[in-house]
Parts: sequence; structure tokens; C-alpha cells
Amino acid sequence: MSNLKKKINNMNLVRFRFWFQIVAFLLIVYGGYIGFDLGDKLPTFACVYNGDFTGGKCYLGMLQHDLNHHWETFLGFAGYAFLISLGMFMVWFWLLNKAWCGFVCPLGTMQDWITAFRKKLKIRFSQYDWSSRAKIKSIKWILLILLLIIPVMISNSIFGLPTLPNGLSMPFCDICPGRMLIPAFTGNFSQFYIDFSSKTEIVMTTLGMIIVGLFLVGSFIKKRFFCYFCPMAALQYTFSKPALLKLYKDGSKCTKCGDCYRACDMDILEIADDVTSKNLVTEDCTLCLKCVAACPEEGCLEANFAGKTIFESTKEGFIIRMAMDKKGELSEQH
Amino acid sequence: MSSIERTIETPKDKQNRHKAMEAIKVIKSIKDDFKSPIESMNYFYDLFERVYCKNEPLHEGKTKVGTMCIQIPSEIIYALDGVPIRLCNGFYTDDEIGSDLLPQKACPLVKATVGHFASNNFTDKPDIVFSPTTCDQKTKAGAIIKNFGYKVIDVDFPRTKDSEGSREYWRKSIKQFAVELSKFKNKKLTKSNLEVSIKKIGYAQSLYHKLSEYRKEENVPILGLDMFLITNAFFFDKIDSWIDAMEVLLKEMRTRVDEKINVAGKMSPRIVFTGSPPIFPNYKIPLIIEQSDALIVADETCSSNRMFNDMVAVDEWNLYDMIDSISDKYLKACTCPIFTTNEDRIRRIIDLVKNYKADAVIYQAFAGCTVYEMEQRSVLEAMEKAGIAILYIESDYSPSQQGQLSTRIEAFMESLKSRKRKKK
Ligand code: SF4
Ligand code: SF4
Ligand code: SF4
Ligand code: SF4
Ligand code: SF4
Repeated sequence: MSNLKKKINNMNLVRFRFWFQIVAFLLIVYGGYIGFDLGDKLPTFACVYNGDFTGGKCYLGMLQHDLNHHWETFLGFAGYAFLISLGMFMVWFWLLNKAWCGFVCPLGTMQDWITAFRKKLKIRFSQYDWSSRAKIKSIKWILLILLLIIPVMISNSIFGLPTLPNGLSMPFCDICPGRMLIPAFTGNFSQFYIDFSSKTEIVMTTLGMIIVGLFLVGSFIKKRFFCYFCPMAALQYTFSKPALLKLYKDGSKCTKCGDCYRACDMDILEIADDVTSKNLVTEDCTLCLKCVAACPEEGCLEANFAGKTIFESTKEGFIIRMAMDKKGELSEQH
Repeated sequence: MSSIERTIETPKDKQNRHKAMEAIKVIKSIKDDFKSPIESMNYFYDLFERVYCKNEPLHEGKTKVGTMCIQIPSEIIYALDGVPIRLCNGFYTDDEIGSDLLPQKACPLVKATVGHFASNNFTDKPDIVFSPTTCDQKTKAGAIIKNFGYKVIDVDFPRTKDSEGSREYWRKSIKQFAVELSKFKNKKLTKSNLEVSIKKIGYAQSLYHKLSEYRKEENVPILGLDMFLITNAFFFDKIDSWIDAMEVLLKEMRTRVDEKINVAGKMSPRIVFTGSPPIFPNYKIPLIIEQSDALIVADETCSSNRMFNDMVAVDEWNLYDMIDSISDKYLKACTCPIFTTNEDRIRRIIDLVKNYKADAVIYQAFAGCTVYEMEQRSVLEAMEKAGIAILYIESDYSPSQQGQLSTRIEAFMESLKSRKRKKK
């Protein structure tokens, strides 16, 4: 048992994640082809627009759909349906917590592939300065609130405001890069269009195209560029506290060396600087566990599932991952 | 009578003779005063004897890059085909030479370092010296040494480490340092030469970590004094020889642990040593501690643990990320007292006490080292809060006062032992 534990703690997380993400990507993007279906309440971008191919469906799309009802219907059947859907979403989410982002989400995986490509080209990544980084945090919450309110406002008049046009029934899907990029992987490029049927549609679908462009360019420059703005992350975080998978930190063992922070694709400062909290799943965390793999202090960071440590930082693991376990030779001279 | 060659002892010879005397006295004590000596330690005893008693140069024909503190990255020096030589000095002989050049109340370490340069008497003379602006005295010492005619380059070091600005500032300093050295050596820093040297130093550090693990045992197989020798040897030794010696030593340690060999007694207090750095041959306080039937099981000093504890962690093995990782390693994890706050240092000491099952902390501050003296109070308070016994000692390089210090340390050890007995 302790041998297995050691093996896990010494693992090459980068490789493990790479293959895990590929398998998850295949199942979600092509799973439908072999009859694989995880339902339509998934806490990850498994896009409905991917048609028969998709191995499950994204709850964010569902949620917008569910909210487009009159008040009265909410009090009856639609209300129940809404709560059941939300409950299902939560159950899925609690299983993996934000590791849906670090290990499963096809959009997250695509960004990691773009990062890998950049690395190959030996081009440096960019970073936000700390104050911009802090400001950006609120954008995903604003997007989440908008995507929740807009569908409601189509069917209902709030504060006497006129109802919104039907073209806005799936406001986030219109601008979600998943809608275009995920079906593209199954040879379906039909989502790359601008809809001229109404002014709203023109604006929204154009915005969608621009965002896809930004997604591709942005994630080449900045690791996980899109995730910084993702409303799914905001929705997830709302329910993160009771989740089974956790990222724990023992601050008394932390030297604040910042290795974890430097490895973090989401530039989460707290992971290094917070030495008092235990639960370090912060709002932007994708539970990718790169920080755990980069931490050199024994048992300082750990991934914990339902109270059990499943992967923790160890000196030995760190040394192996950094390839410092062999003597090696200095170039030429020594 | 045949004519005896009448050589008048030059000042350099005198200095060498005095230094050799200081050195051999300490080596002898470590070698002979304690039970269960370690065979593979002989490499280190010989090394110090060769360098400090026989003045044997180790790096002839190589570019020697002098460093004035731990913050100058050896990774970059090795990558550029240089040999880092840490010039922090522990000799009373040099301290006395330096005393004529610096204020009376200056730190002995700085005085000794300056004295050494003033005498211009090196076995491995540095070709270029990099001086990070850490404590005031080191900072000023750099300029004084420059006046002696050495090539000294200041490397800007920030006094806070939590801000975004300080991180960026230091990253720039390190890049500048790399550029300067690269120019001096006329060699380019590349992905491959830097990657190799990061991993090499990482490997050397990993050996230190392995050795430290054995100090957590109930029967500790190695003296704190031996550990200080090993880590101090890293200041100037050939890295490959050091690594080979460590590998042999680790094998011997393994068998010693299996045989439950203990260099101290069952009741000997286990000590974490912190504060101003013990640098060979100034092992005054550690010697008294271990001669008082106590054992240093861990330390938090820049001449020993702090050099090895943190390894460079790279996420993207390209030049840009390696250099930033190196910079961060030397700033973020550093527990040097020159920084504004010292919570990281306190957390570290407490963690060491816990991990190495220590009974107490001994805090040395050199008379004249304002920063360690100033931090003393907050560390004492924190230890009190954590229920950890601590003894604060002011010391210097002079051989006097030995008796008074011994009495204090012995009394402290007695109280620790009686507390231990009561617990049992
Ligand atoms: S477009 Fe985006 S939000 Fe809408 S269903 Fe597809 S992945 Fe989900
Ligand atoms: S933050 Fe959004 S885009 Fe990023 S991985 Fe998570 S769900 Fe996917
Ligand atoms: S890598 Fe580990 S020790 Fe370093 S700052 Fe992060 S949590 Fe702390
Ligand atoms: S904090 Fe750790 S697990 Fe979370 S995103 Fe950053 S590196 Fe990944
Ligand atoms: S012991 Fe103190 S004064 Fe002396 S060099 Fe170190 S920090 Fe500076």
C-alpha cells in the first residue's frame, strides 16, 4: 500500500494529465459515436451543438434553456425540473470539484494543447500584473449573472422593463467558443457563421466569432486565457465547498518559495502566500494539481478525496519530477 | 653548524600559519573528541586541511567567481563554465586584519571577509566578485573590496520579498548578473548548459536532503559539526568531488542507521541551530553545544541548511522560465534576516523543531550583526508561544570568553535534560 502511495506521489503528473485529458476529450467530443452518454447536466463544456457525437451535454447550455420560462411555470413543474437539473449538476460537480476544469473540460484541454505548442516554439508566456489579475476575477461573475438573467428576461418583464428578444435565448452559447470549436473537431464547421436574421443575432454571433479568435490567440500568449473569464468556473465555485475532491495545504510546512505559484496556469497567488487556510480550492483554481507536483515540501500540498490523501507533495517526488535524481554531467568541461 | 636558512616570516606566511593553526584545532576537535567517528568524513577533514593548512588550490586554470552571500546563483556560474567560491569567512586571523579597516562594532564575518581580501592571500583567488546588496555591512563591504582593486560587481537585492515589485526587481538583477558574467566569460548562457547545471546542483542538494533525513532518527548517526563541515565544503569544493564524497557518506550512514549508531547519548538534547552562520573554522558555539552532550540535529543558517533546502523548480524548461525560477528560488524562499518581516523564518524554525524532534533552539547572533540581533525578540516570543525552549547567544570570532559561554550552554543543556527525564 505504502509502495503504491509512493508511486503515486512520485508520478509524472504532466504525462498523466496529458493522457487523462486526451481520453476525456475523446469521450466527450466523440463519445456519442459509440453510444457513450453522460447526460445533459455536466459541469463542463460538452457542447450540445456537437450533435450526435457528444458524449454528454453541458449544463450551462441547459441552464439557460431552463430559465427561459414565465414566473408561473417556475412555481409548478418547470421549477421542479429546474431544481432537479441543478441537483444533478451539483452531484456531478461534487465528484471531481474543479478538476473538471483541470482534467476534463475540452476547452481547457484545447488551451493546454495550444500552450504545449507555444512551449515547443520556445516562446515565453505572458502574465497579468497583480492588480489586473485581481480585477479580471469579477468578469466571470458578471458573465454568469448575465447568462442567468437574460433568459429570464425574455419570458418575464423585470422591474417593468420590456422583455428581451428571443434571439437572446441562449446568450452565453452565442459567444461561447465551445459552440464553434468543439463541433469543429468532428468535422462540423457549421457554427462558424454570422446570423443576419436580426440585429441581436448579428451582434451576438459576431461577438462569438471574435471570442473564438481571442480564445485561440489569447491562449497562445497566456496559459488558460479563457478560463480567467469563464462563467462555468464561477457557477462551479458557488458549489465548491462540499465537493469530495479537495486541494489542501498545511501552511506550517510552507516556505513560501512560490514554486507552486510559478507552476500555476491560473496565477493563483494564494497557493503560495496563504499559510493559514486549509482548503486552497480558490475561485479560479482548475484543480490541475500542478502546484502539488511542483511543491518540494513534504506533505505541504495534497489532493484529498473524501478525507483520504490521494496525491501529496514530497521531496522525493519533486526531485524525480525535476530530473534531479541523477548525477548528470556539466556540459563540456567537468 | 651549517647555516640555518634564515627566512623572515612574511605577513602572508604569518597569516597562513595562524589560519592553519585555527583550522587544524577545529578539525582535530571534531575528529577526536567524539565517539563513533564516521570513516567517510575523512574526505572532508582532509579537504579542509589541504585547503586551509597546506594552502592547496583546487581550481587552477578555472575562472573563479567569488560570491559574497548565498543569493548569487551557482546554477548560472556553472552553466557559464565558472566555479563559484563563496567568500564568507570564518577566520579570526582575517577578522583581526579586517578590524583595522572597519568600525570596531562591525560584524566579524564581514570583517574577516574584508580582511581576507585586504591581505590578498588566496589559494583560489577569485577572478571576479559578485556582491548582492543584502545586509548593510555586506553591501558596504563590496565597495571597500572594490577599492582594494578587485573586480566587484554589485547585484541589487530587494529588502522585501512579498511584493510583485521586489520579485520583478530581483529577476532583473539576476538577468543582469547573467549578462555580466556571460560577458566576462565570453560564453553564452543556453537552454542546455543552464538546464544541466540546474539539475546538477539539484542532485547535490538532493543528497543533502537524504543525509538530513537520517538526522530525524532516534539514534542520530552524524554530528551537527560534521554537517557544518560538509555544507561549508560546498562553498569552495569541486562539485563533482563533493558529490562523490556524499554518495560514499550516504552509504555509510545507511549502515550506521541499521546498526543504530548514535553519536550522542540517549538523553542528549536535540538542538536546532539558527542565527548568524557558523563558517569554518568559527564553530565556537556548535563545538560547545556538542561538547556539552547535546546534538545539533538541524539548522536554519545561510552557511548550511539554507544553501540546500530549496531547489530550483522549473515549469517550462526554456531559458526564460529557468532564469525566473532561479531568481525566485534565491528570493522567495530565503529566510535572511535582512527582509522586513521574518514570519517565514519563524515558521521554518518551528517546522524543523517538529520534524527533527528537537528539544530546543539555539540562536546565535554575531556581535555587530544588527539584523539577527533585532530579530531575536520576535523569534524568542514566537518560540515561547509554541512552547519551544530557546537560548540566545551573542558571539564573535575571538577565542576568549570560551568559559563563560560553556557555562551558559551547559546550564541550558542540564535544564533540558532534567525536563526530558521528567517526561519519561
Ligand atoms: S455553446 Fe458553450 S455553453 Fe452552450 S452548450 Fe455549447 S459548450 Fe455549453
Ligand atoms: S474554466 Fe471554463 S473553460 Fe476553463 S476548464 Fe473550466 S469550464 Fe473549461
Ligand atoms: S511550493 Fe509548497 S512550500 Fe513552496 S510556496 Fe508553494 S506550498 Fe509553499
Ligand atoms: S492552484 Fe494548483 S490546482 Fe489550482 S489551478 Fe493553480 S496549480 Fe492548478
Ligand atoms: S551575520 Fe549579519 S551582519 Fe554579518 S554578514 Fe550576515 S547578516 Fe550581515
